[in-house]
Amino acid sequence: MPDWRQEIPSRDELELVQLERLQSTLNRAHRQVKFYRRQFDELDLRPDDIQDLTQVTKLPFTSREDLSKNYPYGLFAVPLRDIVRIQSSPGATDNPVVVGYTAADLRFWRELGARLYRSAEVSKEDIVQIVLSSGLTNWARDLKDGAEHLGASVIPFSNLNFAKQLMVMRDYKSSVLVTTPSYARQLLRVREKMGLVAADFNLKRAILVAEPLPSALRAEIQAGLQVSISTAYGITEVLGPGLAFSCPEETGFHFSEDHFLPEIVDPDSGERRPFGLPGELVITTLSTAAFPLLRFRTGDLTSLHPEACPCGCPLIRLGDITGRCDRIFSIGGIKIHPDQIGAAIREILEGHVPRHLLRRGRDEALDYLAIDIAVDELLFSDEVKCLEVIGRRLRRHLRENLGIEARVSLVENLPPPDQETIAIS
Amino acid sequence: MLEIRNLYAYYGNIEALSGVTCHVKQGEIVALIGANGAGKTTLLNSVCGLVYARGKVTFEGNAITQLAPEAVVARGISQAPEGRQIFAPLTVLENLELGAYLRYRQRQREAVSQDLQRIYELFPRLWERRQQTAGTLSGGEQQMLAIGRALMARPRLLLLDEPSLGLAPVIVDAIMETVIKLRETGVTILMVEQNARTALSIADRGYVLETGRIILSAPARELLNDRQVTRAYLGKDYKEFTEGR
Repeated sequence: MPDWRQEIPSRDELELVQLERLQSTLNRAHRQVKFYRRQFDELDLRPDDIQDLTQVTKLPFTSREDLSKNYPYGLFAVPLRDIVRIQSSPGATDNPVVVGYTAADLRFWRELGARLYRSAEVSKEDIVQIVLSSGLTNWARDLKDGAEHLGASVIPFSNLNFAKQLMVMRDYKSSVLVTTPSYARQLLRVREKMGLVAADFNLKRAILVAEPLPSALRAEIQAGLQVSISTAYGITEVLGPGLAFSCPEETGFHFSEDHFLPEIVDPDSGERRPFGLPGELVITTLSTAAFPLLRFRTGDLTSLHPEACPCGCPLIRLGDITGRCDRIFSIGGIKIHPDQIGAAIREILEGHVPRHLLRRGRDEALDYLAIDIAVDELLFSDEVKCLEVIGRRLRRHLRENLGIEARVSLVENLPPPDQETIAIS
Repeated sequence: MLEIRNLYAYYGNIEALSGVTCHVKQGEIVALIGANGAGKTTLLNSVCGLVYARGKVTFEGNAITQLAPEAVVARGISQAPEGRQIFAPLTVLENLELGAYLRYRQRQREAVSQDLQRIYELFPRLWERRQQTAGTLSGGEQQMLAIGRALMARPRLLLLDEPSLGLAPVIVDAIMETVIKLRETGVTILMVEQNARTALSIADRGYVLETGRIILSAPARELLNDRQVTRAYLGKDYKEFTEGR
């Protein structure tokens, strides 16, 4: 069990530390980010009007759209010459979301990453192998940095196929596997085909990220890999992993509230919800310098539980992530907005967007996005070959731009929606 | 130990502090840095009751907001003010004795004379010059005297206002070493410094104050590497950035 006293203030101190950091974040955001200053001015607010943590509700929310609208550098709170990393990810609109980091921010995220590993009882003795898809490079990079910061030996993510990854895992004696739940299951399938068993490996622990982990799948991976399992919660397109990490008592995720202020709000009214009740998670950064976020709406549905945890970690807990309150969905851990698919179709078809249906599909253990496009008069072509080209281009576009696998079918009529249907446009 | 919440202070119509929240834990050295006029000294003076301030200041769990300066000293906080402000015509010994003024009235003469010995051990220079008038001391010696005088009140929290101001680097180092020694004897320290590098090199944590507001708070070693801090210390604002965008 890690000793948290070194790095996390006790509950008595926490409130004051949070308030101090919140106020300094507000001062910086107000002073240095036009977008936030305008919002303060519109409400006739001064940063020092927030005098305790509950008064944060006086501030307006920041949405994913706001992030995209201020493309590229509009929300940066430090001069560009202080920025040492610029990271972008597909946004909710046509513009990507661009996040900047100062050297101090990177150090901070590495420390939070290391905290995630420490909570999973990973130490510098461990060999950490990261197996993630190219669409999850933000997770992969931050988790690599965190493990290196901890002093573990890290095998960073690469484009090796599953069989090669297993070979590396066996020969290099990896003790910790960092991957997604569906990748873990796929690794199990491939291992079976290769005729290998758990005893051929040195794995002790798996850290499963980016996707929810249903208990049946958890049990399957645990038994198959013969490891103990930890999970983590992050919004890596905006905020890195290490935002919250699973508790050894399995009572949810401990949320790093010494650096981020969590709230749960009603997704429709925006009213704050009391502890224990479900709602949308809203996050205000307390420590990051380059990219302060005030009341960012994550879109994730969960709940907050302040009761002391038997594991001894003083941080508040998030309940399970039960779903989303916006239209964003995830394929293999990669978050996608249906409009992004619509935009991709528009680009391939040069401005035309026929009716289409998005479904979740699975090939062995791997998720893909199935896209059924209704062939309308504009699209109708005698040449089947031409239709095939459309499918191939769209697939490539999605792989290149979003990092997801897709299968495209051109159909006469869209099938009726079922359980796997994500969206119809 | 010391908790300050939403503190406002004014000089006439000018708001010198705009809702400052910060704290000092028992046994810590905390540095408060920022440019000239940022409100650093005002913050210390508000804690001491020298400046009228609105907000909440608690020391060891008790509210001390708006207490008279002598009452704050009696609670265990004393300040070594900026520019030393020693009594130049008096001798070193007399200056030190004045620091224990409250305790003389409480008839703690014996304890006071023990403390005097302690101060002389800490600053052997002051022993050598104990009969000399304070005005004839060098800058560094005067600073030692100011700290010694503050210590004579036996504070648990010592407030140091610009202890390095106008001193040669080698003297500054000596003063900082003394501050570290003081902490080892159980005194907690809140230090205001324009010389950010010096203060942060011995502090545990630091706050950066800019025009009456705290804009950064972090462990001192992190602030030392922060480019914003260098800028805040130099007193530049962010115009060049916002205009250049």
